Amino acid sequence: MATEVLPDDRALRVGRRERVLAHMEAHDLDVLVLGRMANVRYVTGSPGLWTAGTHPFAPGAVVVRATGAVHALMTWDEGVPDDIPREHLYGLTWNPINWVTTLQGIEGTATARRVGTDTISPTFAQLLPYAFPVAELVDGEPAMRAARRVKTAEEVVALREAIGVAETSLAKAVAELRPGVTEQHLSGVLLEAAAAGGVSTPATQEVAWVTSREHPWRKVNGDRRVGPGDLVAFTSGVVAGGYIGEVARTWPVEGGDPGPLYERWDQLWARLLDACRPGAPAGDLLTAYDSAGEPLPPMPVARGLGLGFDPPVVASGLPTTAAEERLEPGMALAVTGYVWQEGVGAVLGRQAVLITEDGAELLTSSPIWTP
Amino acid sequence: MTVIDIPAVPDLTRMGRARGAKLRAAMAQQGVDALILLGNTAVSYATGVSWPLGDSGLAHADRPVAVVVADDPSAHLFMPFRAGTSAQEPLPADHLHPPVYLEYDEGVRNFAAVLADLVPAGATVAADELTGAMRRAGKSLFPGGSPSDAALVLAAAKLIKTPDELACIRTALRITEQAMADIAGSLAPGMRQIDLSAGFVRQAYEHGALANVLDPIWQVMPASREAGVWTTHGDLALPLLTTERELAKGDVLWTDVSISYAGYCSDFGRTWIVGQDPAPRQQAQFGKWWEIHSAVKDVLRAGATAADLTRAAIAANGGSKPWLPHFYLAHGMGTDPAEMPFVGTDLGEEFDEQLVLEAGMVLVLEPVVWEDGTGGYRSEEVLVIEEEGWTALTDYTYAPYGD
Repeated sequence: MATEVLPDDRALRVGRRERVLAHMEAHDLDVLVLGRMANVRYVTGSPGLWTAGTHPFAPGAVVVRATGAVHALMTWDEGVPDDIPREHLYGLTWNPINWVTTLQGIEGTATARRVGTDTISPTFAQLLPYAFPVAELVDGEPAMRAARRVKTAEEVVALREAIGVAETSLAKAVAELRPGVTEQHLSGVLLEAAAAGGVSTPATQEVAWVTSREHPWRKVNGDRRVGPGDLVAFTSGVVAGGYIGEVARTWPVEGGDPGPLYERWDQLWARLLDACRPGAPAGDLLTAYDSAGEPLPPMPVARGLGLGFDPPVVASGLPTTAAEERLEPGMALAVTGYVWQEGVGAVLGRQAVLITEDGAELLTSSPIWTP
Repeated sequence: MTVIDIPAVPDLTRMGRARGAKLRAAMAQQGVDALILLGNTAVSYATGVSWPLGDSGLAHADRPVAVVVADDPSAHLFMPFRAGTSAQEPLPADHLHPPVYLEYDEGVRNFAAVLADLVPAGATVAADELTGAMRRAGKSLFPGGSPSDAALVLAAAKLIKTPDELACIRTALRITEQAMADIAGSLAPGMRQIDLSAGFVRQAYEHGALANVLDPIWQVMPASREAGVWTTHGDLALPLLTTERELAKGDVLWTDVSISYAGYCSDFGRTWIVGQDPAPRQQAQFGKWWEIHSAVKDVLRAGATAADLTRAAIAANGGSKPWLPHFYLAHGMGTDPAEMPFVGTDLGEEFDEQLVLEAGMVLVLEPVVWEDGTGGYRSEEVLVIEEEGWTALTDYTYAPYGD
C-alpha cells in the first residue's frame, strides 16, 4: 500500500482487459454490465470501498466490446487509471430513472445485441431493457469466470503478496495462543496485524475458533475461551490489491494428544496436493478424501483464488461440476484439508496452490504443527 | 409521552419471532407467498443467524440462502460452514439444510428439487438476486413465473425496529464508541491512516464486535473544494480510501467506521483535528453543523415527512442543501449499515414528501458543512424516532469541537 490511492499496475490491468475482451468475443457479448466488486476491479483496475458481505446488484462497470471502453460507477477519479477518462465515470444514484439515463448515455448501449450481466436483481432485470432496447440480456458471468480462472503472471505476483500478508498476520495471532485467551482476542490480533501490514480489508472475518470435540464441524458453545488440549483453527484471509490471499492452520494448546490426528491430516494433504495436476479433473480433489479414508469436509475442498473467488469451486454438493472441470496451468486454488476426531477436535489446514505446467507449486509456507 | 423502552440486553429469540411476523406481514401486503434470499444481510434478517461477514467476492462461493414461506413461522436456511455462526441456533432442525451453490447449474438443480417440496406450486415468489444459473433454470426453479424483487419486501419489514433490534444497534454503537475513544485518545501527528484502522479493528473485537463492516475512513479534508479530488458533481468526495499516508498536525479528519453486533450495524462519524484544537473559523463550522442538526431534530417526530427534514436542514443552512449530492441528509440503519428510510437522495422531493416517518424507525443524521480553509464539519447522529420526537442512541462527544 502507498500513501495515496493508486490504480492497479498497468501490466496487470492490460492483461486482464485483454482477457475480458477476448472472452466477450468468445461468448458473443457486445456489452458487459458488472455488479460484483471483484469483476468491477478486474475490468477497471481501480480500488473500491470495502464493505462486508454480499452487495445488491447495481451496474458498477460497463464494458463495451466494440470500442473497448470501460465506464465505471465512480463518483470521483482518485485511483482511477488514465485509460478510463473522466467522462466515462458516473456517480452514485438511488433513482432507477437516473440509472437508465446513465446507461443510455454510454456509447454502444442503444445498438447492443447481446448484453451480459454477472448477476442481477429482479428490479434491474426490469430496468435494463430500457437502457438496451434491442438487446437480449444474458448471463455474462461465464465470460468473466473464463477470463479470471487462469492467472496472468502479474496476477500471480499480486497473489503472492496477498498471501504474504495473510501469513504474517497468522503468525502474530498464533503467537498469542495460550489457555485463557478468547477467540475474539485472537481474531482482533490477526486483523490488527493485517492492517498494520498495510491491508485493512479482510477476505474473511471468521478468524479463530476452538474446534468442537463433540461434532465434526459445529461451533463450540460457551465463553469462547481457549482451554487446555483445545485444537484452535485460524483462517487468515486478506484482500490486498484486490487479490485474496488465504491460509489456514490449526494449532493445539498443550494438554491433549493431537499427534495421530495431525498424522491423518498429513496423509490427506499428500493426496490433495497430488490431485493438483494440470489436466486432472477437479473432482480428483474430492476423491482424495475418499482414498485417504476421510469423510468430505463441511466446506469446499478447493476454490479458485484471485479477485473474489474464481473457478473452480470443488465441494461435496457439486460432484458433477467438479468432475467436468479440468485444472489448467495458471489456476490458483485454496485447497482445504479437514480431519476430525471425536474427543480431540478438528485439524483444518488451507494452502494456496498454483497449478503449473508440470504439477503444482505451494504458495503458502506458514509452519504446520508437528508433535 | 410514551418512549420506546429499549431493553439493556436484547432477547434474540423474541427478536427473531417479531422479525418473522413483520416479514410475513410485508409478504402478505405485497402479495408474495415465498421469498428466496441470497443477500447476506437479508438471510440474517430472515433466519436470525448471524456470522462475521467476509469479502463480497468470496461470499459468492458458498453463501447462506434462506427460503421464507408465508404460512410457516420458521425460515428455511441452506447453511454452509461458518465458524462464527451464532451459537444460539434459532431454527428447527428440519429447517436447516446443507449448503446450495447457486452460481452453478448443478447447484441450482439441487436447490430446485428441494424448493419444489417447500414452496407450493403456483406460489408467487420474490427473490433478491438472480444468478446466471438461476436465470437459466427458468421455469424449473420458478414454475410460477419470474420472481418479483424481494428487496421491496425486506425494506418494508425492516423499516420499524423492535425494542430488541434497537438494543442490538445500541450495543453495536457502544462497542464502536469504546473502540473510537481509544483511537481518539491516541491520535497524534506522524501516525498513518492505516494505523488508526489497525487499532480500531483490534479494539472493536476486544470490545465484542461480531465483525468489521466498513474499511475504516480517516479522510484528510482538502484546503478547498478546488484543491480536493475531482468529482462527477463538483462537490466534495467522500469517502476516500485509507492509505499509509502519515497524518500531520492540523489535518482535519472526517472519520467513518461501522461494525456489527448480532447482525446489526453501527455507524459512527465524527470530525477530528490532528494534534490541535479548532481555530475560531473551524469552531464556527461546528456551530453551523449544530444549528442544522438541531433544526432537523426540532421537526423530527412520527408523522413528519422526509421533506420536512430536508426543508429544515436547507433553511438552517441558508438555502442550500447541507449534504453531498451523491448521498443524503439521513439514512436508516439495521442489518445493513445504510437502509431505508433514505432522506434527501436523488429519488427527489416528491419521494421525500411521500415518505412519512414512523415511531421505531432509526435515522442516522449526517449533514455536512463546508467552508474552504476550515476542513468543514461532519458528524453522524443516530436517533430512533418516537411519537413525540426522538431518542438519541448515543451520547458520544464531539471533541475537540464540543461536548
